[in-house]
Amino acid sequence: MEKRPSGDPSLCGQCHDEIAANFRKSLHYTTTGLKSGVSPRFSKEEAGTFAGKVFPKACNSCHASCGDCHLKSPAIGGVSAGLLQRHRFVKRDEGKTCALCHGGRVYPEFTGEYGGTPDVHYQKGMICLDCHSKSESHGDGSVQASRQERKERPSCAKCHPPGKETSEKAKSAHAVHGTKLSCSACHSAGPYRNCYDCHLGKGAEARPGFILGRNPRDPKTVTTLRVIPTVRDTFASAGIRMEKYDALPNYWGTAPHNIKKRTDRTRSCESCHEEKELFLRKEVLLPGGSKANEGLIAVPKSLK
Amino acid sequence: MKLWKRVLPILVLALALPAVSSALDLPKIVNTDWLEKNGADPAVRIVDIRKPEEFKAGHVPGAINVFYGAWAVKRNNLDNQLPEDEELLELVQDSGIEKTTAVVIVGKADTTTDQVNLTRVAWTLRYAGVAKVGVLDGGFNKWSADKKPMSTDAGKAAAAKGKTSPNRPYLAAKEDVLAKVGKATIVDTRMPDFFFGVSKLPFVARAGRIPQSVNLPSAWIFTKEGAFKPMEDLEAMAAGVVGKDKAAEVLVYCDTGRLASGWWFVLSEVLGYGNVRMYDGSSQEWAADAKAPMVKYTWK
Repeated sequence: MEKRPSGDPSLCGQCHDEIAANFRKSLHYTTTGLKSGVSPRFSKEEAGTFAGKVFPKACNSCHASCGDCHLKSPAIGGVSAGLLQRHRFVKRDEGKTCALCHGGRVYPEFTGEYGGTPDVHYQKGMICLDCHSKSESHGDGSVQASRQERKERPSCAKCHPPGKETSEKAKSAHAVHGTKLSCSACHSAGPYRNCYDCHLGKGAEARPGFILGRNPRDPKTVTTLRVIPTVRDTFASAGIRMEKYDALPNYWGTAPHNIKKRTDRTRSCESCHEEKELFLRKEVLLPGGSKANEGLIAVPKSLK
Repeated sequence: MKLWKRVLPILVLALALPAVSSALDLPKIVNTDWLEKNGADPAVRIVDIRKPEEFKAGHVPGAINVFYGAWAVKRNNLDNQLPEDEELLELVQDSGIEKTTAVVIVGKADTTTDQVNLTRVAWTLRYAGVAKVGVLDGGFNKWSADKKPMSTDAGKAAAAKGKTSPNRPYLAAKEDVLAKVGKATIVDTRMPDFFFGVSKLPFVARAGRIPQSVNLPSAWIFTKEGAFKPMEDLEAMAAGVVGKDKAAEVLVYCDTGRLASGWWFVLSEVLGYGNVRMYDGSSQEWAADAKAPMVKYTWK
C-alpha cells in the first residue's frame, strides 16, 4: 500500500495541474524557509553539509502533501488524527489540518488554548484562510526562499486601513506610532510561546514570554520578538559548528496570533514609556547568545 | 385624503411591529421546536458559542458565532472572568444585541463544561444588561439529533445601534462574599469531593470550601444527554439545599466562576429566586488569599 499517495503532487496534478505545479515550488512543499532561516550562520562548507545531511532528514522530511490538508489530518510525531470526512476530499478544515502542523505556537495562541485570551479574529469567527490566501498554501508558481518573499501576505491594514479609526485616541496613537511599531507590538494580548535551547543536550524548553525589540529585518521598527531556539551546538552532531553563528540574532520578529483591540499598551503610555520591562534589555539577553542580539535592544523615550 | 387613508394602516402596522417583536415571550430554557419556529424573528438573536471551525461546519439558521472565549476571558491570572465592561459592552453591540433583544445561546452539550458554558454566557449577557436570555436545551447536540435545519452561511450580524449598561447586582466580589459568610446562603457548585476538600484543581491554591457554604453541584442539573433535568427535580434540589424562600440572598461559586453559572441560571432565571449573585473569582481567587477562611473534611 502507498503510504502517502499525494506525497508527490503528480497524482493530484493529473487533474489539478496548475495547483500541483505551483505547490511543488511552495514553501509548504519545499520547506526552504527553514533552510533560509538558518543558512546565514553556516560557512560555505557547512551549508553543503547541512543541505546534504541535515535538511533532507529533518526539516524536509515533514513537508505537506495534498492529502495532509484535503483528506486527513497531517501526522505529527508519526500520529495522525485520521480522515477529515471519511474518504471525502474537503476544500478546507483548518482546525484539523493547519492547526496540527502550526499547533506548537500559532494555533493554540489563536484559540486562547495556550493560556491567554483568544485572538479577536477567532472570537469573531475567523480562521486561518479568512486572512491567509490560497496562494500562501499552494504557492503562486514562483520559487521563494522564505515567507517574506510571498507577494500575498496577510496585512492588518487591508481590513483596518489607517485613518479609518472610530476613536480619536486610536487615530492619534496610530499617527504617532504607525511607522515606528508593528501592529502586534501594541495589539498582541500577552505572553506567547518561546522555545529555548534546541538540541542543547538537556532538551528544549518552551515557556511563555513577551519581548519587544527592534525587528531584525527592519531595525527602524520595534515589534514583538520570539526566541529562536537554535543554540551554538544545535547541529554539532552533524559536524556543523556554525562558524557564522553571530550573523543572526536569537530573536526574530513575530506576529503572535493573540491580537486584541485593547491591551495594557493601548490603554497606557506608561506601560512602554515608563515601565519598559517588556523591552529586550542587555541584562535579559540569552546567556551565550548571538552577538547580534544587542542590535535589537530598543529603549523607549521617557514621557517626562 | 385617499392616499392618507391607504398609508395610515400601513404606518400603524409598521409602528406596531417592533412592539410585537419586543413582546416576544422567550422561555429561559428554549426547546428546539420553539427555536425552529421563532429563530427568524427579528427580535431574536441566536448566539452560537462553539469554536468557529465547528460553527462553519453547520449551525442553526440565522445564528451568529461568538466563541465562548470572547465572553469569558483570563484576567489578573484568573480564568473565566468577565471581560472589562468596555470590551463586553462593545462585544454585545457588535453582536447586534440590544437591551430588548431575545438572545438564545447555542453551544455543545457533550460535557458538564460545555453545558455550563451556555449558562455562563447567559449570566454574562444578563450582567451586560440584556433583558431576555435563554439557553437551547440540549444545545446544538439536540438540534442536530432532532434533524432540524442547518446552515453553513457566514452568520454575521449588523452592530446594534446602542450599547447596553452593566447590571452589577448579578456579580459578587470577594469582599461581598467575605461579608456574607454566615449571613447569606453560599452555594458551592463543585462536586462533593471538592466541597469536602479531598480534591482540588491544580490552579486552586488550597483545598476546601468557604465556611458555612452548602453543596449543590452544577453537574446534577443536566441529564446525560446534556439537557436540563425536569423542572420538578430542579425545584426539589434547590428547595432541599437552598431552601424555599425565593427572596433569600444566595451567592454561588465554584473554582473559576463557570460551573456556578449553572445554578445561578436555574435559581435566578428558571425558578425565580430573586437575589442570586455569582462570585466570578470563585475558589481560584479565594484560595489564593491566605486570609480568606476555608474549611475542609466536614460536611457542615
